[in-house]
Amino acid sequence: MDINTILADAKARFSHNSAKHYLKEKYNSKLTFADQGGLWKADKETISALNAFDSEKVVIMDTFENPVEVDRKELLRKLTSIYSETMSAWVAELKELEGKR
Amino acid sequence: MTKGAILFAFNSPKFDYYAMAEHTAKRINHFLDLPVTIVTDESSLDSKTAYQFDNTIIIEPDRDNRRDWGVWINKGRYQAYEMSPYDETLLLDVDYMVNSNKLLTCFELYDDFCCHDTTSFAMHPKAAQEVLSGFSFNTLWATAVAFKKTDRAKQIFDALEMVQKNFAHYANIHHFISNTFRNDYALTLALRLANGHTLPKRDIIPWNLFHIGKNTTVYANNDDEFNTEYTILFDNWQRGKIRKEYITVKDMDFHVMNKENFAELIKHG
Repeated sequence: MDINTILADAKARFSHNSAKHYLKEKYNSKLTFADQGGLWKADKETISALNAFDSEKVVIMDTFENPVEVDRKELLRKLTSIYSETMSAWVAELKELEGKR
Repeated sequence: MTKGAILFAFNSPKFDYYAMAEHTAKRINHFLDLPVTIVTDESSLDSKTAYQFDNTIIIEPDRDNRRDWGVWINKGRYQAYEMSPYDETLLLDVDYMVNSNKLLTCFELYDDFCCHDTTSFAMHPKAAQEVLSGFSFNTLWATAVAFKKTDRAKQIFDALEMVQKNFAHYANIHHFISNTFRNDYALTLALRLANGHTLPKRDIIPWNLFHIGKNTTVYANNDDEFNTEYTILFDNWQRGKIRKEYITVKDMDFHVMNKENFAELIKHG
């Protein structure tokens, strides 16, 4: 049976709370990546921390709570790229889901 | 370094696990581009199928395990280390719906072993994490595991074997019921034993295992073999009435706890 028929027959309502929860799970997992011997989460805090330095090399804690010496610009470039890409996809899917009733 | 996946599938009177494994293997091939080895028994082999696993390993499984719905042949998972022909292996439950290439990230981020330590339920955002007992650890999940062939990974699988063979003893210590053997519980104890009673963050997959719970039904949005969009329908009890709620998910892996539902899903894909 077609999914739209199943939903119509069941008089099912779209759950915005559960959809937001699903999107958070999906896109949070996409923010994590390995680089330069550490595991990183592309979030505001890590991006801000790297932006606060101006040296070529910097030691920061990765998500395993190990200090890792990194090429600051290279890691910042990857973090920013993954953050932007993931957040754009997140908001696009959120808008798509918000259109559902 | 060779990479691949290994699945264990032994049919029970109620469920065709081999068919589930075949469905999951096709999706592993498609989304992860990995070969798949199956560990099964003679009676589960489906001679009618055209699908060829990378390797088929026939064993005589330990059938001494039961759940409320009948025989559940899930022991012997510790043999994955010896039986995997790959240098790096994904060990998955056959009811894990591979719906993206996300699991490949495990190969980039782990040392030599990783599994999930937290779960998230699709329609229950606030569901608590499962524990072995009120006096013990949060459960680790054997649903999706990645490992390399290293001495340390071997120690983890050796510990898994030891816990399986002494499950009643460990159940007694950790205050859980031992009647049904669960790989999740055995892994919870084995990983800590192999790590000197600690749980290093490096052994944990850094995102939640996404569960589709037992009172929830998944439908494929179309009949394509490699469909990536699913609708999840849930009976939400509120003030004595059922309100049907749904969401749609796409390009995201999930674990279907309801075997009847998974069996139905694979008929359409």
